[in-house]
Amino acid sequence: MNQANWKREFLFSAGAFVLGLALALAIAAGLGESPLHVLNVMVTGALGSPTQIGYSLFYATPLMLTGLSVAWAGRAGLFNIGAEGQMTIGGVAMAAVGLLAPTLPSVFAIPLALVCGFLAGGLWGAFAGWMKAKRGCHEVLATILLNFIAYGLAAFLIIGLLKSPDSQVPETAVIGEGFWIAQMHWIGGTSPLNWALLLAFLCIAAYAFIFARTRLGFHQRLAGGAPLAGQLGGVKMDRQIIIAMFYAGGLAALAAAGPVLGFAHKAREGFAGGAGFVGIAVALLGRNRPLGILFSALLFGILTKGSLDLDIDTEFVSRDLAVVIQALIVIAVASQPGWIKLFARVGRREKGSST
Amino acid sequence: MIEELLISAMRLSVPLIFAALGGLMSERSGVANIALEALLLFSAFAAGAATALTGNLYLGALAGLVCAGVIGLAYGAICLWGRGDQIVVGTGFNLLAAGLIPVITKSLFDRTGSTPALSADQTFHEPIVFFGIAVAAFIVLEFVFRKTRHGLRITAAGENPLTLRTQGVSDRKVRLRAVVEGSVVAGFGGVYLALCQGSGYIRDMSAGRGFIALAALIFGAWRPWSTFLACLFFALTDAIQIQLQGKAIGGIQVPNQFVQIFPYVATLVVLMVASRNISAPKAINRDIA
Repeated sequence: MNQANWKREFLFSAGAFVLGLALALAIAAGLGESPLHVLNVMVTGALGSPTQIGYSLFYATPLMLTGLSVAWAGRAGLFNIGAEGQMTIGGVAMAAVGLLAPTLPSVFAIPLALVCGFLAGGLWGAFAGWMKAKRGCHEVLATILLNFIAYGLAAFLIIGLLKSPDSQVPETAVIGEGFWIAQMHWIGGTSPLNWALLLAFLCIAAYAFIFARTRLGFHQRLAGGAPLAGQLGGVKMDRQIIIAMFYAGGLAALAAAGPVLGFAHKAREGFAGGAGFVGIAVALLGRNRPLGILFSALLFGILTKGSLDLDIDTEFVSRDLAVVIQALIVIAVASQPGWIKLFARVGRREKGSST
Repeated sequence: MIEELLISAMRLSVPLIFAALGGLMSERSGVANIALEALLLFSAFAAGAATALTGNLYLGALAGLVCAGVIGLAYGAICLWGRGDQIVVGTGFNLLAAGLIPVITKSLFDRTGSTPALSADQTFHEPIVFFGIAVAAFIVLEFVFRKTRHGLRITAAGENPLTLRTQGVSDRKVRLRAVVEGSVVAGFGGVYLALCQGSGYIRDMSAGRGFIALAALIFGAWRPWSTFLACLFFALTDAIQIQLQGKAIGGIQVPNQFVQIFPYVATLVVLMVASRNISAPKAINRDIA
């Protein structure tokens, strides 16, 4: 990828972000809230102190992984809206392992939980891939339905089988201490920021390596960019679709490591909290590129943390404003081909009039 | 027991039918519409909010339909002139509904995500009337697609827009009109949710029905009558699920959250069996086929 192209993509992403943010602030203004006040509450809430920065990073951690999940599927030509369900399944699997073998020491416990989570989420995703490849069902519909099924299944496991006997809240009992991922209080103050952040960084690096240097990455890109050429070259495209959804599901499942193993030490109902859907915005804004995903996940982590205070500190808007911003960014990025064309036309007209 | 089940299925089928028929108009014209969920939510919210504010049920219903039309206009315009992937744009709209509605309820009613509950004289009590409108809607659509110029143009826009352009007809205008009309049809489903099935809008009250409607549309092969039947089938699975709630099966108490996934599993199984042999409109999600 050449320099100019990279710059162009960065500019367009930045433009989409600013547009989304500006429109959301305009909506806030329309509802009677001062946009500057909203912005101020969000920035101080997210970056005001080490603890607040720690929280922003804590929220950004799962977003890097769900972002990677959506991006991986995107590189293979698929749109994964199922990250939320895959993350849910992965987190429940991690908690289940942590409850079944509570005495395991950390050296074995944490890798075991991560592998089990990855496999559970991966198979959940691969099922959607199979539906697409072998049954011709659009992956978007399959993954959405699987999300609903994942919530129900998780609730069944959390409330039914693994429920903590001495808690009224729908959550599992506390997992074995060996499964706890250590928190990073030296950066994050009293926030629950933990070493899952490192896991996310490693996954971003692995993603970059796989797509730049390996046969797996090349075949996946073929599935996304030139499936017919791949097919003629002897790569089975059906299989690539299933593989893509397997890795996408596995990455989304790893997003559960931070909140489940690093913070709550148990699986709560609804612990994914929308991270799977924010992953869509992360991947789109980051253009499926490793560094793009890193930075847009950080940005959305800040946005998530910053918006929490809107409930208390503003009169007319709520934390849901963060979702509005994400939605507008998704729409802005998706409709970019149109407004690029529009700009080009305006640009031509200006050039034409000056000569 | 059976009678109860069928009546319950009829009630539950109403929002599905309207959403699926609305989606049908849009998709037959070549605009993929995964934003049906957002259309149901926005129109249900507008209907609930306007009824709560004005106290007039009919004004509320009108507000729901107008809101659906406006959202449809925005969706269609962005899909057609934005030239992006319509599925991604639709996902953006679904997110927008999830975020924008609770923000507005906070500023209007100081509540998180719901409108105030409506009193009995501020809601409709005849689901059969809505069901009747739904039946009429599918018959009208069947007629539109078979016998009218507008219907033919919609089909042409969805199958091969070039045929329209060669006649000097703007395929985009045909598509936009179909999307807006379809959105208003889907809006009936939202109005029903807020003003007949429920009393007022509550958070996420469509609970994925927009997506099940989309599955019904695919299962029904993008034809009005078979889509209608597919909606009845999915409504029946939902009715069975509700009947099963709180019941012990084989001596084991099954949590409601688990029973609730029954319609989604049924939908998935149907898609697994059926979607291979069904072909979508050829120019869907594209400029030119």
